[in-house]
Amino acid sequence: MRALHFMKIDYVLTRKQMYFMPVFFVLAWVVGRGVTEGAMSLLVTCSYTLFVASIFSTAPFGYCTGKNRGFLLLLPATVKERVAGRFLYGLSFVALLGVLCAALWGLYALMGYELPLWTVAIGLCELAVGILMMALEFLFFYVFGEGKGNWQYLSNIVRVVPGMAMFFATNGFVGEIQDMAPAGTGIDLEAFAGKFMQAGVVAIMVSLLLTAVAAAICVKVIARRDYA
Amino acid sequence: MELLEVKNLSKHYKNFDLKDISFTLPKGYIMGYVGANGSGKTTTLNLITGIVKGTGGEVQIDGLSREENEQAYKEKIGYVGDESYFPDHFKIKHIRTILKDFYPTFSADKFNGFIRNWNLPENKLLKDFSRGMKVMLMFASVLARDTKLLVLDEATNGLDPVMRTEILKLLQEYVMDGERSVIFSTHILSDLEQIADYIYFIHKGRTVLYDAKDELIENFLLVKGESAKIPPALKKELIGLEENAYGFEAILPSDRAELLGSVFLFEKPTIDQIVIHYIMSAGK
Repeated sequence: MRALHFMKIDYVLTRKQMYFMPVFFVLAWVVGRGVTEGAMSLLVTCSYTLFVASIFSTAPFGYCTGKNRGFLLLLPATVKERVAGRFLYGLSFVALLGVLCAALWGLYALMGYELPLWTVAIGLCELAVGILMMALEFLFFYVFGEGKGNWQYLSNIVRVVPGMAMFFATNGFVGEIQDMAPAGTGIDLEAFAGKFMQAGVVAIMVSLLLTAVAAAICVKVIARRDYA
Repeated sequence: MELLEVKNLSKHYKNFDLKDISFTLPKGYIMGYVGANGSGKTTTLNLITGIVKGTGGEVQIDGLSREENEQAYKEKIGYVGDESYFPDHFKIKHIRTILKDFYPTFSADKFNGFIRNWNLPENKLLKDFSRGMKVMLMFASVLARDTKLLVLDEATNGLDPVMRTEILKLLQEYVMDGERSVIFSTHILSDLEQIADYIYFIHKGRTVLYDAKDELIENFLLVKGESAKIPPALKKELIGLEENAYGFEAILPSDRAELLGSVFLFEKPTIDQIVIHYIMSAGK
């Protein structure tokens, strides 16, 4: 329960950035539409959204430096609960943007776009990668902190590069698929849609498991530290 | 009955060692924890609150250590530091919600009462609060719940005399029921003269003095006179001898008073004077 309270604190800490999320989501949709259309554009939109999530989900680390950290450390809870709360924040943040993507998927379906099942499976894989990126970034920030000077630059690289890599990889993948077949048809791929869906679900489960492992490592590492 | 028990508390840093700090603080009393800058006051208080992990020793509050039950241990503590630990972009409503979530004994009515009495602005961000307002908010947040030990780290420094007086009054009310205690680090030793029952004096990470305040004052004399007239036997006993063109000033253990004869002036020292002369003697 206290982990949920810590998650809530992180949302209060980062409440201002939440106002910008709808703007980023619209931007992601525009970017997707700029690259291609239909289900393929949704894949680009999702990867852009998860790119944004990978950057903004780490925001609480920036707010909890120096004297502000004391407030969290004095609250009656264990290190485990504090870390769990932070990871729940990250997961819920990624999940929230994942839900927005799913809603867009539904909207496209209602509008009569053809949405092959295999693209949904790829979307699930993107979500799994998004969760994993968040977990690895959190691990980095718990182990090394926000840092100062040159270290701060490295922190920013850690925030931006994985999401950006996923975004460009998705763009490249969409380009490859479009070269193989006319956009939106994907007939051959659809034959393997069931397998793709299974892979997508497994990817989500594995990413959640790895997130739990990352959280456990963070607890172990910071439990011995001062001001942690 | 002891409320706070500190046994052989130690902390090793690269350039500083806190070594074997031990004391007890009974229920219903206030302890002044004093020393120069960098003497280890904040380190000790951070070890008590648990934000810093010690390299040795143990702390118990009301018979409970942090290792036994971290949540219950922290619930017993109310901490007020020299600067606000609340995030600057919080408002009072955010703090109220968080305290309500984490502390079962938190009373929103009591908290709101403090906010009203001290005219703290509900709708401003904390970054726009004055230092005094921030300190009062920290006090409101700890006094609105059921704590056993108040840990104050230079909380009254930089406050105007009216606010300081109000806080000192609050502290006296806090311990009045005989169940709660305060450990109070400050540079304003006149505050301790008013409210402290015990004084713990630390220098360079080591204990220098620890006693009941009244005992401490009884145990020393402030001696003044002409430097040239100090006999060698007395000079050896004087603590923190300060000489200038007009004479000297030092403190002397009361049980060595027979060395004074009738040549020197002496009187009861203040805590301030004892501490300053001890720091001077340690520096030599």
